[in-house]
Amino acid sequence: MRKFAFVTLTCCAVATVRSAEPAADTGSPKTSAATAAEVEALRQQVQSLTEVVQSLQQQVKDQQAAIEKNNSAPPALPQNAETASAENSNASQPETSPPPLFPTTDSSVVASTAAQNPKSTAATGSFPTTDSSVTAASASGPAPEAGSPLTQPIPIIASGNKNYMNISFDGLFTLAASSASDLNNIEVGDHDPQQRGFNARNAEIALDGAIDPYFEGFANIVLKLDDNNETEIELEEAFMQTSNLPFGLQLKGGQFFDAFGRINPTHPHTWEFVDSPLVNGRLLGPDGLRGVGAQISWTAPVPWYSQLLFAVQNGQGGSAYSFRNRGDDGVFYDRVTIDRGISAPNDFLFVPRWENSFNLSDTQTVLIGASGAFGANDTGPDSKTQIYGGDFLYKWKSPRAEGGFPFVKWQTEAMYRRFEAERGLDDSFPVSEVFHDWGMYSQLIWGFKKGWVVGVRGDYLHMEDSQFTDDIARQTRSRISANLTWYPTEFSKLRLQYNHDSLEENEFLTARDVDSVFFQFEFILGAHGAHKF
Amino acid sequence: MKKLIQVLLSAAFLAISATAANAKLKVVATLPDLASLAREIGGDKVEVSAMAKPTEDPHFVDARPSFVVQLRDADVLIDGGAELELGWLPPLLQNARNPKIEVGKPGRVQASQGVRLMNVPANVTRAAGDVHALGNPHFMTDPIIAKVVAQHIAQSFAAADPPNAAFYDANYKKFEATINAKLQEWGAAMLPFKGQSVVAYHDSWVYFAHRFGLNIDTFLEPKPGIPPSPSHLAEVIEKMKAQKIKAIIVEPFHDRKIAEKVASSTDAKVVDFAQYPGALPNSDSYVKLIDLLVSRLSAAMK
Repeated sequence: MRKFAFVTLTCCAVATVRSAEPAADTGSPKTSAATAAEVEALRQQVQSLTEVVQSLQQQVKDQQAAIEKNNSAPPALPQNAETASAENSNASQPETSPPPLFPTTDSSVVASTAAQNPKSTAATGSFPTTDSSVTAASASGPAPEAGSPLTQPIPIIASGNKNYMNISFDGLFTLAASSASDLNNIEVGDHDPQQRGFNARNAEIALDGAIDPYFEGFANIVLKLDDNNETEIELEEAFMQTSNLPFGLQLKGGQFFDAFGRINPTHPHTWEFVDSPLVNGRLLGPDGLRGVGAQISWTAPVPWYSQLLFAVQNGQGGSAYSFRNRGDDGVFYDRVTIDRGISAPNDFLFVPRWENSFNLSDTQTVLIGASGAFGANDTGPDSKTQIYGGDFLYKWKSPRAEGGFPFVKWQTEAMYRRFEAERGLDDSFPVSEVFHDWGMYSQLIWGFKKGWVVGVRGDYLHMEDSQFTDDIARQTRSRISANLTWYPTEFSKLRLQYNHDSLEENEFLTARDVDSVFFQFEFILGAHGAHKF
Repeated sequence: MKKLIQVLLSAAFLAISATAANAKLKVVATLPDLASLAREIGGDKVEVSAMAKPTEDPHFVDARPSFVVQLRDADVLIDGGAELELGWLPPLLQNARNPKIEVGKPGRVQASQGVRLMNVPANVTRAAGDVHALGNPHFMTDPIIAKVVAQHIAQSFAAADPPNAAFYDANYKKFEATINAKLQEWGAAMLPFKGQSVVAYHDSWVYFAHRFGLNIDTFLEPKPGIPPSPSHLAEVIEKMKAQKIKAIIVEPFHDRKIAEKVASSTDAKVVDFAQYPGALPNSDSYVKLIDLLVSRLSAAMK
């Protein structure tokens, strides 16, 4: 009897909707304001009526399903339930004269048909509390709660996604063999292998997530083992950035890697090689260029991708190597450094960047960028450093890529640095010099088969020769690298790499050649944020 | 005074509707199947672009910078949701800085909303391969679900472009009627094979199988996303022989040679399948694609 009442109600509601429809159709911009308002009201009425009908239909279906379930022996199979709901839809729509041979609705796959308009749906009835077909089909998924509003028609998603942040751990280890006993002078990056044998130079905890509706937060905490197997800890990055500022603007604040070139802003586990390029390690610094500060970026309103970034940072310490960096034991490039602190705006580090990207075709993308880094350095009271960089990336990916393979990636970066090396504390160094240093690397990466990548890289670094400064970091040198990487999945990696280094003779240092072989292995646990292009 | 305000308001309303009527709604869909539905609903009132190519693996799309521009200019973004695009959409959205397409705004359609996802794992461990914690996200292969998604799209378009609300609604009704009619056709074509098994390269056909009463629970991949191993393939071949399985479905981005090898050791045929309109010849719309899938599979299983 109750069921009959529902069906009648449903029919009435359907009839009302039908009669209301032609009116709704006239809602065009040409109608006068009054009619438009009326139409709007009517439309809302129709909308709410439709929803009433839907919820009623749903209730009828559920009742029917419950009856079916009671009649038949448990457990109810999905197929049984489906037939039930099919019969049901016929029963609830008596105006459909020939019953369809094949069901066109299926409550077991649909949680709600009106999820998009939270305001209007929130008021209407309660979400079905029982649905045998769904419980059977997804036994492990939680059933929707009684009385939960239709604005939450995705109980499975809601329950599966309660994390307020992604947490991941990344362990990167390298076994090194080298003809040089002082591998730490050959490898220029702080995350690169520093000694023969096993190295653990990058175990990283990465956190990211939405802070609130306005900001997103990121943090990277790096743990490293030194050659005494003591743990060093590093707050590599910790910053917040705006999520949705208007006019294509974004603000960022905290400790972060500078957007200088391609490799500098990235973390070692995304690198295509075991070690960082010479030019990055020697001009931007072994830790990369990063620091505490703020950045503004703007996506220009042009039809291609064009972004301008500008960062201001303290620019001090080892992670601002070419800038206000006191150096090891207070000495940098043989000068006893002075602690300049920040006394004027130009003591800050300024890092502008402009990047543009074009698609050459559906499968080919090019990205071209120009970066700069301008600031003071600690070799004198007024000494300055300027670094200019250019970068180029070409990528091809197959239109039938599986897991991102096959692909070809060609990446090149060049940098030039002008470094004013003054006479240090109390003019203790005999001369002041200006170093013009430059270098570049170019790497070609070919992912030839799902999970398999080969790469070659050429590196060159020119450090201006000096009759006064004998720092080992000022040796002109080149390197050729080749490697093969296997990614069993995107969460693990095995890599074999060969390096040949040639260090050139200068005023103080002799030439030498070094051969090294590295075996790297890496794992990632947890939810790791997706990578940028 | 009150009248004046009324007049001014209605004038403003007319002006806004006029500009909205002239400008086409810019719609970005992450995947070509969603783009196809957007075209059905939006007709000539919208400009639709898809990000992923129909032939590529939807889990691993490059986050090309040009997508940032597309998303920045979008009025509506339609994504699959349920973590399907987890590997590439989040950094693009971070960079797009477009409040219109935030989750919860009318300009954002997450297709998985309102869909009961299948294969939700009880325990999530990566030892099981690429498992989707929220359930299998390849739900668009079920036409009944496609209707739900189409309705969401119509509602979103109506909210973003109210003057054309009736137009979008009419198109949705048309689409619904087409699917309902087509379902009779597809259901009849697949009826003779009800309960039969089909082998797939990857577990992306659970919704299609559910709709048409097939068993697609044997895969060339030993675990989702893990490449086929010889020992696993030997097991599959044995099973196929025992159950007399007649078809192996592969998608454009899978290694067809492996499927061919398995097919040559059994009586089965390799059937080229695709989840996305445009991946196969004469499949440039959603309905045409399902037409093609049904006719190919039923031909292979005869």
